This record gives sequence, structure tokens and C-alpha cells, in this order.
Amino acid sequence: MNTPKKPQQLRMLAPTSFRDKLSRRAVIKMGTAATGLAIVAVACGGDDGGSSGGGDTTDGGGAGGTQASGDWSRVINAASGTLAMYTWGDYNDPLLVGEQAEKAIGATMKVDYFNSNEDLITKLSTSGGASGFDIVVPTGPYIPQMIEKGLIQKFDKSLIPNMVNVDPNYLAQAWDPGNDYSVCKNWGTTGFMWDSTVIERDLVTWTDFFDACMNEASGNCSVLDTGPNLWGAWCWANGKDWNGTDVADLDACEAFLVDELAQHIKKFDSYPSTAIAEGAYSLSMAWNGDARQAYYRIEEAGGDPSVWKWALGSPDTELWMDNYCIAAGAPNPEAAHAWINWELIPEISIQDLQYHGYHTGMKNMSDLIAEIAPDLDKGDMIFFDDAQVANMHTQEITEAIDRQVEILNKMKAKAGA
Amino acid sequence: MTAAVPSRRRGWRGPKFALAIPSIIWYLLFFVIPIAFIVVYSFGTKDTTKLLPVDLGKLTTGNYAEVFDETFFKVFRATLRIAVVATLLCLLIGLPVAYFAAFKVSERWRALILALVVVPSFTSFLIRTVAWRIPLAPKGEFSQWLVDIGLIGDKGIQLLETQTAVQIAIVYNYLGFMILPLFVALDRIDVRMREASKDLGAGRVATFFGVTLPLAGPGIVAGVLLTFIPMCGDYVTATVLGGAKGNMIGSMIASQFSQAQNWPLGSAMAVLMIGAVLVALVAGALIVWVVPWITRALEPIAQRIRRSIHERNRAVERAAAPARAPRFEPIKILFAVWAVLVLAFMFIPILLVFRHSFNGGTSFAIWAGRTSTKWWGELFDGGSAWTVVTIFVVVPVIALAIRRLLAHRGSVPTRVLNYFGPLGFLVAFVINGFSTDWYHDVFDFAGIGDAIRNSFLAAFGATVIAVVLGGLSGVALARRPGRWTKVFMATVFLILVTPEVMDAVALVTWFQRIADVPVLGYAFKSGIGPFSGGMSKLWVGQSLYASAVVTLIVRARLAGLDESLEEAAADLGATPARAFRQITLPLISSALVAGGLLSFTLCLDNAVISTLVSEAGSTTFPVALLGATKSTIKPFWGVGAVVLFVITMGALLFVARVLRRSGESSSQIAATLAGG
Repeated sequence: MNTPKKPQQLRMLAPTSFRDKLSRRAVIKMGTAATGLAIVAVACGGDDGGSSGGGDTTDGGGAGGTQASGDWSRVINAASGTLAMYTWGDYNDPLLVGEQAEKAIGATMKVDYFNSNEDLITKLSTSGGASGFDIVVPTGPYIPQMIEKGLIQKFDKSLIPNMVNVDPNYLAQAWDPGNDYSVCKNWGTTGFMWDSTVIERDLVTWTDFFDACMNEASGNCSVLDTGPNLWGAWCWANGKDWNGTDVADLDACEAFLVDELAQHIKKFDSYPSTAIAEGAYSLSMAWNGDARQAYYRIEEAGGDPSVWKWALGSPDTELWMDNYCIAAGAPNPEAAHAWINWELIPEISIQDLQYHGYHTGMKNMSDLIAEIAPDLDKGDMIFFDDAQVANMHTQEITEAIDRQVEILNKMKAKAGA
Repeated sequence: MTAAVPSRRRGWRGPKFALAIPSIIWYLLFFVIPIAFIVVYSFGTKDTTKLLPVDLGKLTTGNYAEVFDETFFKVFRATLRIAVVATLLCLLIGLPVAYFAAFKVSERWRALILALVVVPSFTSFLIRTVAWRIPLAPKGEFSQWLVDIGLIGDKGIQLLETQTAVQIAIVYNYLGFMILPLFVALDRIDVRMREASKDLGAGRVATFFGVTLPLAGPGIVAGVLLTFIPMCGDYVTATVLGGAKGNMIGSMIASQFSQAQNWPLGSAMAVLMIGAVLVALVAGALIVWVVPWITRALEPIAQRIRRSIHERNRAVERAAAPARAPRFEPIKILFAVWAVLVLAFMFIPILLVFRHSFNGGTSFAIWAGRTSTKWWGELFDGGSAWTVVTIFVVVPVIALAIRRLLAHRGSVPTRVLNYFGPLGFLVAFVINGFSTDWYHDVFDFAGIGDAIRNSFLAAFGATVIAVVLGGLSGVALARRPGRWTKVFMATVFLILVTPEVMDAVALVTWFQRIADVPVLGYAFKSGIGPFSGGMSKLWVGQSLYASAVVTLIVRARLAGLDESLEEAAADLGATPARAFRQITLPLISSALVAGGLLSFTLCLDNAVISTLVSEAGSTTFPVALLGATKSTIKPFWGVGAVVLFVITMGALLFVARVLRRSGESSSQIAATLAGG
């Protein structure tokens, strides 16, 4: 297991579907980048690599431009044993939770998946601190209740020096102002994509989305399988605040979603990319990273990606942020800190970004991409300008959440009738 | 069941249910009490601020009122409709196959057909269900081919994410569970009965409806129970294929627990669901009771009709050539064609799983148009994998070669020789390293090797528990019946009809409650020996249903045998323990093996309970795969499924060999596998 395998050097920087997109030059460059990193890892992973600027040792690969320039912290702490992560489906480059991590920090990783924040919370609370997981990945607004229930533990921030690499915009969020319990994994937003051979007009707003879903795409339309997101889409279409708790609004939302929209929906699907490629939908509400993946899947299935159009939800849409946290009672907190810290090294972070297609919150992101992944495809589905971000809103957990989930359940029942 | 004759049982004191005590304790601790808590929760109110999000301070029936809501009932109706239609379809599709296998083919073909029916169920249930997406995808090859030849419109097959897809896959998933009991029942029919019927002049149809079908009644009932109940609680099929239109009650209950965190409402739904299943079963029982009554009432008319048909046939026969030409049986060919079609149907997803494990693309369900072994490479670490596999093959082969040589010389008794095969395997195990994690060398990809190992560990442990508990209580039920039998059987029956998701939640909350109880909680908190607490939880969770199945199989086996052997042993002075060991145990051994195999497969495939109770480090293959189904399933899951299948089949063939050596015919083995 110690000798690096050649084909995997290509694989490590991008999922295979992306590989064809990369120019030969870029591939070679990335290959050396990987080697360089591995050497850095060996160089400072041997013992307590906490010495200042340890990561800034010149890259052994020798190929200039493989490492981001500028002032970055690249500390790698050594760990051992096994490290268990509980996260969303297909949410990290397999190498970063496998071989590459093992080489860098010395711990063997195991990854399990959950489907919703509620699943995660149920799992952690029912095992009473003995779930066996070290790292968990909740969405921001769920963090306060997890702290309150004692499901996650405080970071030892001295073990995560690389947190300085994170853009301050993505630190100190409302749910954890001191980043004592969490640090940004990545963030994303919500929009929709459609087959322009079926829906020939241009869709812009959530109102357009609902309209198309009830007309051209009726019976071939998918929406996210989360109550808050559907409530959100309705709010944004109707100019309401999605963190509002007005019962009249909720009633109106229910009346529309359940009585009018539900019957046109084909599936409540949070990851529609594969089904889109299979040809199951002609209109899908999707998170940006998954929508981006859909383009590669369509091509792989022999379809024509160019007929599919993507639009960010408008006039307003969501901004969600998933975070690395350490579970209370984690068996191997040392390795958990080491891995999270390692993930915050810019090159590693960008490698992961290229896999899942979400903004990882590193500072100077555009420079990083220009240097490390200049050929990144469909960057406009990962990065958004200030005007777009201004219209994105973060969810708050209010007492209306039960009602939102209830609306979703009613929609499901109605759609199935 | 033969009524037990009270007899002198020397040295036997203590309650009649003594042998069932372990099961009674087990069911009390891990089924009755946890479920009772769920019933209590169903009267509670939701309180998400607590770890257990239920407030029992103020009890209310509001949850039930909410459940009697229109939308819930729609899903409820849809679920029942899907289950009823699928059960009937399974019966209609499966009956000719079972009939064909039981009456129309030679012993050798019979074994082959049964093996082909059984084999698909040893492939992961989940991956087979996922595989149905491949032929149903509108942009898939099959659909595009149909479009190209002009059979369907440009849009392709429009079945994915519909109720029809769920219906197809559910019929597919449970067909085997229908065919096997049907076959067992038909196979038991004394051929002479059918011959007598024919000799008495009944035609083919009359024989079938007058003799064969009534005698097959128990098999039909068993088949219907084995398919209908799990269908009602099924949520995997609907989740994977159903979309919004194929929503089933199982997924609704699950989402109340996991997503909405509304345990009281979910509990109320689950309680009502058990109620509905029970009502449906009572209705079914009524039908079973009423139909013979009606047929009996109609008997005189039927007799007259039959007689007239018979007379006419005789007249025709007399008019026709008297010489009996060698009979050409078009019906038999029809049956054969049907059986082949059904078997092909059962193998479609499996072949697709196999092919897609060589998919060159990045997604399991989407064929990228080129084959590639890279996902196999992803899963296996080439060099080490070959070493391990070679050792596993070479050492047993050497052992078998030595056995052959020695057998030839005849100097070593066969009894000793028979140990050579397993011994070789064991040696290979030791060489590969018992304690060193050889599978880590083999399975390169994070987690999947552990998942496969955990699947086997969990299934094996649960099976051992199920066989011990089920064996003891099965014997007690058959041999020491009494008032306790009814209560115990009712519990077993409840275990069988309880939707898995309810067991799962009941157990999860229960494990938490008992975590700090001394002794009891220890095994779940700290684990047993090298096994983690999560593994103990999996053992408990998976053993419930499995032990109920084993109980029934053992009881059925003993009920068919009269007790004189054990009584003779007792009369000859054997202690109860000795009589049990030397008489009863050999009698039920095939039932134990059958029950064990059945539970092993069930446990290996268990997804719902395992998902909720497993912990990090005890994730099984179905749990990991279920997690992956929500987003993109990578082709290496197909690889994993193939590997799992190969290992399971290997184990199975081994057991079948052992069984055959113990003198059972191949169709008997298949029958025992089916729970006969």
C-alpha cells in the first residue's frame, strides 16, 4: 500500500468524468502536484509536525506552480489508528478519505453516510455518545441544537492551525460565532435545471420553476426531498422571508404545494443528477454541485448535455454551509483534528472541490483556482459573484420547521395519490 | 400437528416451557418491552429538545387522530393495493413454475430449477432493486433500442419513478419466496392421489382444481404470508424506484422517525400498520375458511358438471383412435417455456449487476458504453488480493488432493477424511492471518472491505443466536405444548408481522435506555471481547426475525414426526438431556440447517434495522449501500455485491455438500432451504 499507483495520480484530482475535460498539460501538472503533496506529507507527517511553517517547506515535486503561492498554513499533524467519519453521500474525493489521508496523517479512515441532518442527529442522540464516529458533517443551523444536546465536542483549536486558510467570510457564523465546534467544509446553494427540448422558454425565477413544473414538465419534475427547501422556494417565489413563522404564510404555502404542485411531481429527490442522466426528469430542483455533476453524467450516458440549462434560484435562494465537527465521545479525537486540519490545506481543499463541486471557503479562492485548477470546468456553478450571494439566505431553525416537514409529508402523500 | 400424548417422562421436572426460556427472555427484553415503549410513545407528544424526542408528561390520542388523516390513508391504501396485487401476481407467476418443477420434470432438472430460484436471493436485495433502474431508464440502452425498432415512442420507457416500477420490482423481489413454499407443498402431494383422480376419470383441469390445489393449500398460505407481510412493510423498493407516485407506508413511517423526528406520530402510524396487517390476515384467513365451505356447498353441482364432462370425454375417447399414441404434451412445453421466462426474469438484474461492475463510467446505473476493470481495481489491491486468493484456493485444493490420495489407499476412515476439506480452508485462513486484517490488503477502498466483513460477522452471530433460540423454542412448542404455546406463538407471529422499521426504532431507543444498566447494558456499550457494542446491537436486531423463522421451521419439522422415538428413548432410560442430544437434535438438524441458512441470508440483506442500530465500525454492506443510494451509486458497489454473492454462494455450496453427504436428495435440500 505504500507505493503510489500511477493511474490514481490522475484520479486523485478529479473524478473520472472530469478527467476527459482536462487538457493533457493540466493532467501532467496535476500529477506532479499530487506527488509533491505526498512528499510534503511524508516530510512533516513523521512526527509532531506542529512546528511553525512546517508545511511551507519547498515542495519536493520541483514543478513550479503546483503549490498555491502566498501565505498559507500547511501544518500536518500525525495521528494513528482508525478515524470514522459520518457524512453526506459521495461528499469527499475518495482518495482524501482513503489512501491519501492515510499517507498524510497516518490514520485509516472509515466513512459512513447519512441522508439528512435529522438522520445524523437521531444516530448521535440514540447512541448516547457511543456512536463511534469521530467526524460528523452537519449543516450550520443544526449545530446549536447539537451543542445543546451534547452531541458534538469543542475543538482543540491549537490542533487546527490551518483554520487561518479559511476566508473570514465563512468563519464565525451565527450558529457558532467562535468556531469552537465547527469549521466550514463547503457551502452551496439551490437552483434548478431543465431540458430545453421539453421546456423551450427561459426559466428565471422560482415562479417560472413552479409554472414549468405544472405545465411542460408535469409528471417529469423532481424537487428536493427536504421540507425547508420547498418552503423556501415558495417563499422566494412569493417574496416572503423563509425564516418567517407566520401561520398564514405556512397555510398558503401548504395550499399551493400540496393542492396544486404535488400532483405534478415525479420524485422528491435530493440528488437528481443520476436520474437526470437516466432520462427520468425534464425539470429538477437541485443543489449546485449535484447539478454540475449532472452534466457529466448526461454525457457519460450518451446524452447531449448542451440541451440542459441551469439557473440559480431567483429572486432569492438558499445558502447552506456544511461543517466539520467532532462528535462527543469520539474514539479518536486526535486523528479527527489532524484530518480536519489537513483538509484545510489549500491544495487538498481544492482537490476536494473539484470532486464535489462546492465552494470550500478557502480565502483568495479565485487565485487558488487560477493556480491549482486553471481548467476547472463549469466554475460558474461553483462560484458566485457578490450580487448573487447577496440574494442567498441561510436557514434558521424556527418552530415552523415541524410544519415544513409536515407539508413535505403531505405533499408526498398527495403526489402518490 | 399431532396432539401430544401425555407420557411418562422420566426425570423431567419443571415447567413445560423450560426449553423456551431463553427465547422468552430474549423476546421480552428485545421485542415486547421495547415495542411496548413504542406503543406508549404513540400517546406522547413530540419534544425535540430532549435526546429522546418524546414528552410523556401529557398523554394524548392526538397522534392517532392525525394518522386518520386523509393523506395518510391514501398512502396506506396504495401500499395495500401494491402488496395485494403483487402477492396475486407472485402467485399467478409462481404457481406454474412450482407445478412444473414438482410434477413435470426429472429429479435432476427439479434441483436445477429450484437452485435457480434460490440463487437470486443470495445477491444483495438492494443492489438488485437498484439494478432495475437500468432497463427501465428512458435514456437507457434497452429503452433506446425499443425506440429504435419503433416499438415505443420517442420518449422511451416511461416507467422509472412510477408505481408500475415498484410493482415490477416488488413482484421480482418476492417471487422466490412464493415459488419455494408452493413447490414444497406440491412436492409433498402423494402422486397416487393425482393418479387416482385421473383413474377415476377426472381430466387434467379437474385434477388440478379438485385434488392438487386443495392439497397445496398450506403452501399457498405460507407463500402468501411470506410475501404479503414484508411487502406491506417494504420501503427499500419504493425508495429506490418509486418516486413520488410509488410512496409506501414503510418509508412514511421511517421518515417520521428519522427526518421529522416525530416519534409519537411515527409510533402511532406503526401501531396502526400492524393493526391493518393483522386485519388483512384475518380477512385472508376468513377467505381461506369460506372458500372450501362454498365449494363444499356447491359440490353436488360440481359433481354433476364433472360427470357430464367425463361422459363426454369418454365418448370422445371412444370415438377417437383406440391406440394410445406416444403422448405429445403441448402443455408441458408451455409450462417449460413459462418456467424459462420466469427464471430469465429473475436473473435480469443479477446479470446487469455483474455487467455494471465492469462499467467504464462513474455511476453504477449509467452504462458508459465501455467496459473497464478499474472499479475492480479500485476495490482490490491487485498484488495482495491475488496472494490471499491464491492461498485460499491452493491450500484447500492440496488438502483435497491428499484426501483423494488417502481415500484411494483406503487406510484412513472416511469419517476422518471428510474433515480434510474444511481443515484445508482453516489452514488457509491461518496462513492468511487470523488476526492480521488480510481483508484490508484485499479491499483497497475505504470502508467497503469492512462493510463486507461486518455483514458476515453480523449475519453469522445473529444466525447462531437465531438457531439456538429458535431450535430450543421450536422443540418446546412441538413437544411440550400447553397454555403457554398460544402466548408464545402470538409473540412469534407479532415479530413476523411487525414492520422492520418499528423494531428498529424500538430497539434503538431501548439500547439507549439500558446503556447504563449494569450487566445488561455492558454488551452494547463496550462490546463483547473483540466485537464492538455496535456489533452486539446488530446481532440482537437481526436475530429477532431470524429466530422467529427458525422457531417455525423447527416446530413444523417436529410436528410432522411423531414423538414415539423420544418416548422410546425415555422408556429405555435416557435422561431428557441425552434424549434431546441423541434423538431430537438429529431429527431437527436439517431444519436447523435450513433455518440457519434462511436467517443467514435474511440477516446478510438486512438494511432497515441495521441502518438504525449500527455504529461506526459496524456498518454492514446494505447499510453502506442504502446510504449511497441517495446520491450516486458508484460501480464498485456492484463489484462489492458480486464479491458478496460469490462468497455467499461458496458457503452455500459447502453447506449443500454437507447436507447431501448426510443423505438428503437435492430437492429435499432445496425444500429445507425454503423452510419445509
